Order: sequence, then C-alpha cells, then structure tokens
Amino acid sequence: MGAIAIRTEGLSKRYRTSEALRDLNLEVAEGEAVGYLGPNGAGKTTTIRLLLGLIRPTKGRAEIFGLDCQHQAVEAHRRLAYVAGEANLWPSLTGAETLHLLGRVQGRVDQTYRDELITRFDFDPSKKVRAYSKGNRQKLILIAALMTRPDLLVLDEPTSGLDPLMEQAFRHSMHEARERGQTVFLSSHILSEVEALCDRVGILREGVLVDMGTLSEMRHLSALIVEATFDGSVPDLSHVPGVESVQTEGRVVRCQVRGTVEPLLKVLAASGVHELLSREPSLEELFLAHYGAGPEPEDEPPRAS
Amino acid sequence: MPAGRWPGSVIARLTARKAARSGVLWGYVFGVFVASTALGYAATYKTQTERDHLATTFGTNAAIDALIGPARQIQTVAGFTAWRSLGVLSIVGAVWGLLAATRLLRGEEDAGRWEALLAGQTTPRRGAAQALIGLGVGAATLWMLTAVVTIAVGRSSKVDIDVGAAMFFALVLVASAVMFLAVGALASQLAATRRQAAAYGGAALGLSYALRLVSDSSTRFGWLRWVSPLGWVEQLRPVTASRPLVLLPIAGFTAVLVVSAISLAGRRDLGASVLPDRNTAEARTRLLSGPLGLAIRLARPTVAGWAVAIGVFALLLGFIAKAAGEAISSSSSAEHAISHLGAAGSGPGAFLGVTFLMVALLVALMAAAQVAAARTEEAGGELDNLLVRPVRRWSWLVGRLVVATVACVISGLIAGVCSWVGEASQHSGVRFTTLLGAGFNIVPPAVLLLGVGLLTLGIWPRAVSITVYGVLAWSFLVDLIGGIIGLNHWVLDSSIFHQMAVAPAVAPNWTTNGILVAVGLAMATIGGIAFMHRDLQGA
Ligand SMILES: Nc1ncnc2c1ncn2[C@@H]1O[C@H](COP(=O)(O)OP(=O)(O)OP(=O)(O)O)[C@@H](O)[C@H]1O
Ligand SMILES: [Mg+2]
Repeated sequence: MGAIAIRTEGLSKRYRTSEALRDLNLEVAEGEAVGYLGPNGAGKTTTIRLLLGLIRPTKGRAEIFGLDCQHQAVEAHRRLAYVAGEANLWPSLTGAETLHLLGRVQGRVDQTYRDELITRFDFDPSKKVRAYSKGNRQKLILIAALMTRPDLLVLDEPTSGLDPLMEQAFRHSMHEARERGQTVFLSSHILSEVEALCDRVGILREGVLVDMGTLSEMRHLSALIVEATFDGSVPDLSHVPGVESVQTEGRVVRCQVRGTVEPLLKVLAASGVHELLSREPSLEELFLAHYGAGPEPEDEPPRAS
Repeated sequence: MPAGRWPGSVIARLTARKAARSGVLWGYVFGVFVASTALGYAATYKTQTERDHLATTFGTNAAIDALIGPARQIQTVAGFTAWRSLGVLSIVGAVWGLLAATRLLRGEEDAGRWEALLAGQTTPRRGAAQALIGLGVGAATLWMLTAVVTIAVGRSSKVDIDVGAAMFFALVLVASAVMFLAVGALASQLAATRRQAAAYGGAALGLSYALRLVSDSSTRFGWLRWVSPLGWVEQLRPVTASRPLVLLPIAGFTAVLVVSAISLAGRRDLGASVLPDRNTAEARTRLLSGPLGLAIRLARPTVAGWAVAIGVFALLLGFIAKAAGEAISSSSSAEHAISHLGAAGSGPGAFLGVTFLMVALLVALMAAAQVAAARTEEAGGELDNLLVRPVRRWSWLVGRLVVATVACVISGLIAGVCSWVGEASQHSGVRFTTLLGAGFNIVPPAVLLLGVGLLTLGIWPRAVSITVYGVLAWSFLVDLIGGIIGLNHWVLDSSIFHQMAVAPAVAPNWTTNGILVAVGLAMATIGGIAFMHRDLQGA
C-alpha cells in the first residue's frame, strides 16, 4: 500500500445540540476510491468539512497527505479539490469568470482538460451564475474541481441535480481520475454511483462509523439471496441450517443463506427444483440492512395452492 | 384565524405576520423616540426663559432647518417634539418602509418562496396585491404603536398634546414609511434582485431628502418642497398648525405606486425584472486572481453607487452653503455646541459643519454594507469556494477590510472635493484644504464601525448585520437628540459620531481621529483572530 491520503484519529465534532461525529478513525490510501455512506444527518458533511478545515474538531485530528487539516490547511488544499452538493457561487460572476478565479486561486489548471470538461458537460460559461439552473451550477463546481487534476477529490453528493446524461459524464470523469491514480473520497446517496466507482465503502450512522470494508468483504459477510421455483410441491425450507427469511409465493421461494449453501442445495435437489437463481446483495440491500430499515419478511402464511 | 380557512390569502397572511412583527419593533423605537424627546426636553428646559432662548438659538439656524426641517414653536414641548421627531423619524420610517417592502416582496421571491405559494391558488398579480396588503398591516401596526405612545405621552401635563392631535401626529410620523413601502414595492418589480431594488429605492429616498433639504435651506428654493415626498410630510405640520389637506398628494403618490407595482407584477415572469437585466456578459478577469481582487470586483458596483450618492449630496451641500450660511450668521451663537447640531461658528462653514453629519452617515452606511456583505459571503457559502483552496482565512478578511477602508477614504475625499466644487461655484470663500480636511474627518467613524462589524463577525457572526445597522441607527439618533435634551455623556459617547469634530465649522481633531481609527483597527484585529479560530457558519 502506498502513502496515506486521508487519516483521521478519534475525530469528533459536537454541536451545541448534537454529537455530529464520534471518534472517527479512518484511513484512505493514495489512489484509492472510498465511498462514504449514511442516512441524512449521519455526519458525512460534518466529516468532510472537518477534513477541509472549514470547521474545528472538538476532539481528535485529521491529516491529508500527512498535513494537518487545521494547521496546514493551505498546504493540504494545494493537493485536493472539493465539490459540495450545493453550488454556492458569487451570483454576479459569469461561469467563465468563476472558473478563471477558482483556477488562479488553486494555482494549477490543466487548460486543455478544462476545455474538454466544458464540452463533455455541455456547459455554457458565458452566463452569470445568477442565471444558471441548479444542475448547471453543479456542473460549474465539478469542472472547477476536476480541471485542477488534484491528487485527492473530496466529493459531497457531487451529482445532486445532474440529469442522467451528466451523471454519465461524471462517472466517466471519475474513471479517468482513477486511471491517473487520483484518490477519491465520495459521499453520496446514489448507491449505484458508489458501487460503480469505489473500492471501499464506509457506512456512518448517527456519527459513528459502523462498517468499513471493500464491497466484496461486506457482501461476503452478509447473506446470499436465493430464489427457487419448484415443479411440484414446495418444501419447507425454514428449518434448513443457514437459511433465513423464507418467503413463499405460489411455487416460488425466496430466502437468504448465510455461510455454506450445502444443506440448502441438498434439500433443493431432493424436491425437484425447476429454476434456481442466486445473487449477491446489492449495495442498496447492504445499506438498508445496516440502517436497520431493511424490508422485513412479511409474516404472510404460505398459501396452499 | 384558522390556517386553512382562506388558503388563497396565504401570501397576505405570511407577509402581514412578518411586517407586523417589524412594525411592532419599530413602533416601539418610534414611541421611545417621541417620549424621550418630549420628556427630555421638558426636564432639560424647565422654565419658559430657557425655552425661548433655545428657540432663538435653534429656531433660526438654517443649517438645522436644512438637516431635519424647519423648527416651529420649539419654545413649547409639543412643538419641539413634533419638529425633532418628524425630522428624524420620517427618514428612519422611509428606510424602514424601503427595506421591509424590498425584503418581503423581492427578497421572498428571490428566495423562491413565492414559487410554492403561487403554484397553488393565485396569480402573480394577486400575489403582489396580497403582499401589499400584508405590508399595509405592518404600516398600520407601526402607526398604532406610535399613536398609543404619543397619546400616552401627550396626556402628561408637561407635554399636553390632545388625543386627536396625537393620532394625527403619529400618522404624519409614519407617512413617509407608507410612501416608501410603496416605492419599495415598485422597485421590487423593476429590479432583478433585492439588493438592486433596495438601491433603486435608496436613490429615490436620497433624491427626495436632497430636494427637501435644499428647499429648507433658503427661501429661494422653497418651492422645491412640493416635489419631494419628504417635503409633503413636513408640510403636514402636525401639532403646531396641522394641514391635513397635504395628505392628498401623499395618498395619491402611494396609490399610483401601489397600482403600478401590482400591474407590473402581473406583466412579468416570476423571478424576472421589468427593467432589462443582462444574464450573459463578457468575461472580465483582470481582477479575478485572488481574494483581494475578488473583494474589489464584488464591492465595486455598490461602492460606486455610494460614491455617486455621496458626491452628489456633498456637491449639493456646497452649492447651497452660501445662501444657507447667511441665515446662520445672523443668529446668536449657541451654548449647545456639545452636539453636532450645536451651531458653532457662522456662515457657510457652520452650515457645512452641521450638515456633514449626514454625509458621515452615508459613509458609515457604506461601511456597514461592506461588513454585511462579507458576512453574507460566508453565510451563503461562497466563501467556502475560496477556503477549500489554498487561501488563508486572513487573506480573505484583510482583502475585505482593505477594500472597505479604501472605499471609506475615497468617499471622504469625494465628499471634500465635491462640497468644495459646489461651494466654490457660489464663491462662498471656504478654503479647499478646509473642506478636504472636513471630508477626511468623516472617515474615522466609518472605520470604527468597520471594526465593530469585524469584531462581531469574529465572535458572533449571525449578529453582524443587526449589530452594524443597529449601532449606526443608535448613533444617528443619539447624535440628533442627545445634545439638546442633555443626555448623559456616557450615552453620547456610545455614538460613533460623537467624537467627530464639527468640521469644517471647527478644525478636525486629528488626534481623536487617530484614536478612533486605532480602536477600529484593534477591534478588527481581535475579530480577525477570533474568525481564524472558529467554525465557518451558514445563515
Ligand atoms: N452548524 C450546525 N449546528 C448544529 N448542528 C449541526 C450543524 N451542522 C450539522 N449539524 C448536525 O450534525 C449532524 C450531522 O449533519 P451532517 O450535515 O454532517 O449530515 P450528513 O450526513 O451530511 O447528512 P445529509 O445526508 O442529509 O447531507 C446532524 O444531526 C445535523 O443536524
Ligand atoms: Mg450532507
């Protein structure tokens, strides 16, 4: 593993009324892409604003490329770019002026890449910020961040307000960034986006990091989803070891399997299974399971046909 | 009233609630002002001899006439109270009306709150009409509170204003508020943003005040008072010699503006302006290379507007100084030189010395607007875009402070030069250097206010706007009444203008000015240090 891009140690933030972040220990390696998930109010934006030095931690510390986020913020900022979920820009400047300003302030801009991004995102820079729609403002801060080719991209719901076509353009740009070895820290509610872009995922709940790992690790720990269609009578699967949440719908049985699938396969083979589907849980299912709001199996008595 | 009973009147009710809340607050301010003026006068000038002496001193001073309107019967408590309250509160009320109307009409629309409301039951035209009804409720609240206090004070045997006269007096006090509510409503239709609408309305108020001022500075220009809304208010002459007929032009003016505002609201798109607004522009990137350049770029249009206002106003004062000053030299000198309304000296210099308080107020207002804009840049999240890049917090703050300070100094220079140009055209004989000094003399209070603002920005960011405008309004009121009704010197000292010399009537005190600037910069420094160590805070 290479150098460390982001490291936090016991990072905590308490507001007057609430504890927004508790004792966060996080490490993101250089070149890695990490998704940062959690329900509304979990503390994702708080974490990111702490990393950027916009707010002060109550406890703990954070580093970016070994630079302290509070005391060496300016040095750290030379190597990163940030995209917020809400593009609050100076209303009286035009798009082109904003890009010029933000580029000059950052100190380095890849001009050809900037022009390419403007075309890719189909962005008209001649308007005043006041006159842009929300999505167009979002494009503007995305371009401003990407055009500097930063070593680290910190993104907080970066695609809010973008249409599906632009979402595609965003993913394309992210893949480019990853190929160039740029590190990505992405907080998002669009799970397919995180699934497509990130190697590792952290899940935050009420200010606490409840899970962190690669997607395959997390999948491994959770159940496999199996759906079987039978020719004749439907066997009772609820007593098979490792099988949970059995749902029967006519001749179709849906269940989850934890650990080895062998006992289940034996029962299925013996009872004339006609069709068998199995798949790993999607990030959405993992996510819902973690939030404790997963769709509980309905307590419907199996109907006899 | 149950919330769901008239779903179609939701805009009227929302606006009315907000306007009434503000009307209550300012109704108290109006009431307290009237009461403290009346009771302060009664307590300070106990005998008729003292009152007659005051009348011969102030009643014949053209500079004070010009500043806040002609004094009539100020040897009586009622007459003095009417004069002073009207002079000050008609301006305060006009500002209140402008800000309330532009905030509740254009501000709410800009914030997108109308979209949701209008999508329901009603058309833009009806929406605007409803909002105006709501604003009317606010004005009525202001009037009622003012009237209640005025009636109560009037019942005191020392003051002696009967109920009918007190109610009429209260009506006169809020007349300018009502007219400028209507001006603000019209400006909200013409302009594209709340700030722009406030600027249009501010220009109208400035013009109206300037015309009134000229009309009262010398009998030669007396006719001008009939073309100024503030002139009409003055001609109502409450308490001393009421002329209710003058309410006609006031009502007519208000009605015309209200009707035009409503009809324009129906003719434009939501969020759009009637006057053309450019949404595209050539990129001008010369300044946009860092926080200082950005601060200049952002401040430039507003500062330019203020500079023009200050220049025109100073030119005007210079122009009428000779004619107005002749009236002063014939009056006896005052013992009340403790306030800026003290008639120190004589001639054009004395006139300018008194009226420069108004220029100082404009410069300080500009300074307050600059601090408020800095806070808005933080609260709105624009500042984040700089601070997540390699920009230090202090370089942003210093950029803002430098721009604001330079703007104050330039305004002082403009005030000095323009007043000299106006004055020289009439051969009044005040020297250029004297007026230049007087121009720079009004800068230190503004710098002090900048310091107060930045200190607040550091330690209590959400209170920046209310603090700077509050300190300014307080200082202005204290300075306009303090000296005459003999306020405690601690109270007088709390005004940012109190230490300012009455230049060009007397020579500026550069030591005091240096101290004011130093205190301002010290406060700015403390505020800056606090800002460096705190969380950024949204609205
Ligand atoms: N300035 C503040 N003052 C007080 N509390 C705050 C402040 N900012 C955030 N909080 C609280 O901290 C908690 C975490 O908020 P945060 O914005 O980090 O959530 P989030 O995970 O980004 O949520 P979302 O998905 O909605 O963006 C919330 O309970 C929020 O109410
Ligand atoms: Mg968030």
